[in-house]
Amino acid sequence: MVRFKHRYLLCEIVSEDPRCRQCIDERAVGAAAKEAVARTHGDYGLACCSISFTVKYLNAYTGIVLLRCRKDFYRLLWSALPFITYLENRNQRYSCFFNTLHVGGTIRTCQKFLVQYNRKQLLLLLHNCTSEEERQSIQKSLLSCCLKEVEEEQSQSGDEEDDCAETD
Amino acid sequence: NTSMCWEINVKDYVCTHDIEGCAGCWGSFQEMPASTFAQARAAEINAMLKAVTQKSSNSLVFQTLPRHMRRRAMSHNIKRLPRRLREIARKEAEKAVHQKKEHSKNKCRKARRRHVNLVVEFNRRQKKNIWLETHIWHAKRFHMVKKWGYCLGDRPTTKSYRACYRAMTKHCLLQDLSYYCCLELNGKEEELLKVLARMCSIDTGPTFAAVPCLSGRLQGSLVLYRADRYPEDVLGPITFIWKPKDGSGIPYETRQLWIWTHPSLKQDILTELKAVFQCSEPVETCSPEPIVTLLQEEKQTDVAMSVSKKRKREDHEGEKAVPVKKIIGDGTRVPLQSYCWTSQTTGVVISDLTMEILRYRLIGPLSHCVLTEALKTASVQTEMADAETELNNWWVENCKNSEKVSLHQRQEAIFELLQGISSPSEIAAGTILGLTVGDPRVNLPKKRSKAMPNPEKYQDNEKVRQLLLEGVPVECAHSFIWDQTICKNVTENKIPEQDLNHMRGELLVPGSQLDLGPRESKIPILLVQQPGKVAGEDRPGWGSGWDIYLPKGWGMAFWIPFVYRGARVGGLQEGLKHSEYKRTPHVPNDFPDCPAGIQFAKELENILLEKFKRRPPAKRANYVKLGTLAPFLCPWGQLTKDWEVRNKTQEESVVTSSADSKSCATESQVPCDLKPGLMIEDSQGDMMEEMTKIQNLCKEDGAATSSGFFVLRSRKLLKQLSAWCRPTCGKGQRARPASKLGQKEMTEDALLPIFKCYPQVLVWVSLSLLRKGSPELHAMICIPTQEDYLQLNKDQLFCGPQEPKHSDIFKHKILKLKERKKNNRKALESGASDALEAKAVEEPKELILGLWPDPLPDVTSHCSRILLGFVTQGDFSLAAGCGEALGFVNLTGLLHMLSSQPADKKGLVLLRTPASLQYRFARLNIEV
Repeated sequence: MVRFKHRYLLCEIVSEDPRCRQCIDERAVGAAAKEAVARTHGDYGLACCSISFTVKYLNAYTGIVLLRCRKDFYRLLWSALPFITYLENRNQRYSCFFNTLHVGGTIRTCQKFLVQYNRKQLLLLLHNCTSEEERQSIQKSLLSCCLKEVEEEQSQSGDEEDDCAETD
Repeated sequence: NTSMCWEINVKDYVCTHDIEGCAGCWGSFQEMPASTFAQARAAEINAMLKAVTQKSSNSLVFQTLPRHMRRRAMSHNIKRLPRRLREIARKEAEKAVHQKKEHSKNKCRKARRRHVNLVVEFNRRQKKNIWLETHIWHAKRFHMVKKWGYCLGDRPTTKSYRACYRAMTKHCLLQDLSYYCCLELNGKEEELLKVLARMCSIDTGPTFAAVPCLSGRLQGSLVLYRADRYPEDVLGPITFIWKPKDGSGIPYETRQLWIWTHPSLKQDILTELKAVFQCSEPVETCSPEPIVTLLQEEKQTDVAMSVSKKRKREDHEGEKAVPVKKIIGDGTRVPLQSYCWTSQTTGVVISDLTMEILRYRLIGPLSHCVLTEALKTASVQTEMADAETELNNWWVENCKNSEKVSLHQRQEAIFELLQGISSPSEIAAGTILGLTVGDPRVNLPKKRSKAMPNPEKYQDNEKVRQLLLEGVPVECAHSFIWDQTICKNVTENKIPEQDLNHMRGELLVPGSQLDLGPRESKIPILLVQQPGKVAGEDRPGWGSGWDIYLPKGWGMAFWIPFVYRGARVGGLQEGLKHSEYKRTPHVPNDFPDCPAGIQFAKELENILLEKFKRRPPAKRANYVKLGTLAPFLCPWGQLTKDWEVRNKTQEESVVTSSADSKSCATESQVPCDLKPGLMIEDSQGDMMEEMTKIQNLCKEDGAATSSGFFVLRSRKLLKQLSAWCRPTCGKGQRARPASKLGQKEMTEDALLPIFKCYPQVLVWVSLSLLRKGSPELHAMICIPTQEDYLQLNKDQLFCGPQEPKHSDIFKHKILKLKERKKNNRKALESGASDALEAKAVEEPKELILGLWPDPLPDVTSHCSRILLGFVTQGDFSLAAGCGEALGFVNLTGLLHMLSSQPADKKGLVLLRTPASLQYRFARLNIEV
């Protein structure tokens, strides 16, 4: 048995308008991407990309989107993504563009990349912050995500201390 | 799915965030604050980290590694894994599924298999359940079960169902019955008989006082009751052997009595015996044996320790000293506890000889060929082999007495004559023959061969004929096995197998007969003829054989020679089949009124219920629809009670409607020609007397009688019933006038006292099917209706009527309950746990689809045919060539049925297996 190989495109939706985030949902993103593919590559391209095309993950707050496509045709989708200029939802249009961050073979690699990327972003934010208040809040959130890691590890090691007493 | 999982996490975060009020700021603020941005990122990081660290697939860690990183033995050696995966792998290995049973891996195999260590290990393993001496032999060849505190072979692992049957009928089947328990009573004959008479009844057959048994010539068997409680409170069946008198005619001689019981009955019987004989305190004086053995064991241990110290066992010195002596006898006994009880008033001593005497059973016509070939009587020996050892000193002493030597020679002669008899059933049932034999290992054949009889040699032999006519004389029943000191001596002075093999190896001509001379052990044994099929007309003497009683320690020394003479070995299942074909009740399955039988039925119910529940619900038989009220447990109590109620109502109806007897005759099944003025015949006089006696007895403890049922064991009444069950005028059946058999006609006058005296009584019956069909466990025995007889008359090929399908009235209820439970679960999830608890209290017992819940309705009239009883053993009988069943029926119901049946159809019943709607005709027999 050979599995179907996919490519996952990790994209960031960049928009001037903060209201744009409201309209980020699976259907809108999927429709926009398909529309772009149809425009750039025609019916053939659309059909190729539609095979097992889904939006695997979507975060409206950070604007991160994970798109799945077959490995054979991901180039078509990739090349079409820059042509998305807006997202439409409930008859409202907000201009935005897709910034492809990473192309991966599994969701896992994309997740790992995303962790790294977000950390970098947070550090950048901390570096560029202007006021003390902001700095503190960013530091807090930075710590929250890092501290949790440490805590979890500790709790796991606690669980492992099983008694190995044997009963005959 | 992992992806789903982390998505949900993020969404959760979103939700909570919305509530906090950040959603509001989107609309109002043009620019997104950095803190919100950071929080969102942090949340995402957390979610992703969680997703990444979680293992996605359900494969083991090392399986996820790429091929080039895999290493041999990775699955159980964590250190071969990359370090980052070790933690996860360790957790996986700790899971119970992957944990293998921890062997004593601290030693290598060679060390574990070393004899000393092996014995220690075996001794440890038989602390909880007693091992028979043939355990290792059996464990290699049998499916073992733990039952009654023993490890027993259930059935051979090879396919041998039919082969074992053939061995039983044509050759010889060997069984290890050492798990049977021996209770020894020591005391004055009068005292013993007086007290034991309270525990059994002359009604059930010969008792302890039967003359041939009391003299020690025959083995007796009977059913024990609690003292003065006959006919209720059964303790169980036993066999007993009196030690023959020494010949000196002293009237107040102390006698020795062995009572052999099944281990499941032993505790009840022992406590009852102790109570009856007022044996309360265990006496040290009479049981020096356990203490001595303990001391010896300790001594042996010391020796062994000093020997083994040479090996590298210094590190184990601090360990508790373990006895490396092989356990002979009961390994579970507490060393210091006494197994001997004496009575202050009567001086009777009861001792528990469990596992002290071994018992093998040989079944089949060639069993005495096996015996005579395997055993050679001991040679007379007048001088000691060694002055130092105690080996054979008892035998030398004995041989100095010329009288005893002549007795030994007579025993030897009779034993030789056994070869001329074609089947053990030709000798009187329970004949006892004492013997002293030489070491059977000495003349072991090189190959396994089949012992064959040699009838030509003994043809027209006057002596054989005399033996058959007169039986074994009383004095030949004498054996030294009764003497415990001799038994102990014999057990302790056994030449080990190793030494014997060493001596064999030193023979000048390899393979020639080993002659031990005076050093050869002499073993006292007891041979007891086991009667086969005694009751009934067909196959008389089927399954007869010999029981051999040995002192402990000699188990394997006798076992292997028997096997080498062509005896096939059977386990518990073969024993069950043996008693089934013999149509005798099996212990403890077929004693529903004794405590062990009740316990057994409960266990069987649990097993069957578990088996039933293991099937997928759609594949289970719906017993409610089949009209089977109790497929797993026979409700004897309810059956008898229902019949009692039924009987009463019918009697009342008879009395009230005696004026118009015509309508009564058609509607009720009771013969209703009541003639109150009829004179009692003379032949019935004694019967009636007995009845009234029992009636009085029943009245004395009326409360107890009404509460419980019991099994009818009075031979007189059983014989009467058996005569009534036979068809009186059938085709090809000789007309049997009742007067010829000395039986009375089945009239109202004969029946009424029986109804009164035995309201709740079961009768042991055997059934054989007329046409096809194989009855199963717990099949129902039912009364045919008049139409069934008519149809059977019309069509000889008529198989039997069908039970109309019942409707499952509980299905709806169960579905409802299920739904409610589902709702409850939902409620529980939302936090309302109190409601569920209330519900749980409300429904104490769970309904199972296809089974009738506990308060059963009237069991007799639940189906279209009236229920009479249940089958406890049933199968296709290889011996009879048709389906045969054994079971119990209610006496009241049986009499009702017999009185209403036409003369040529007497004893015809219908059988229906629990999982079928088809009734089948069967003939009911009562064999006495």
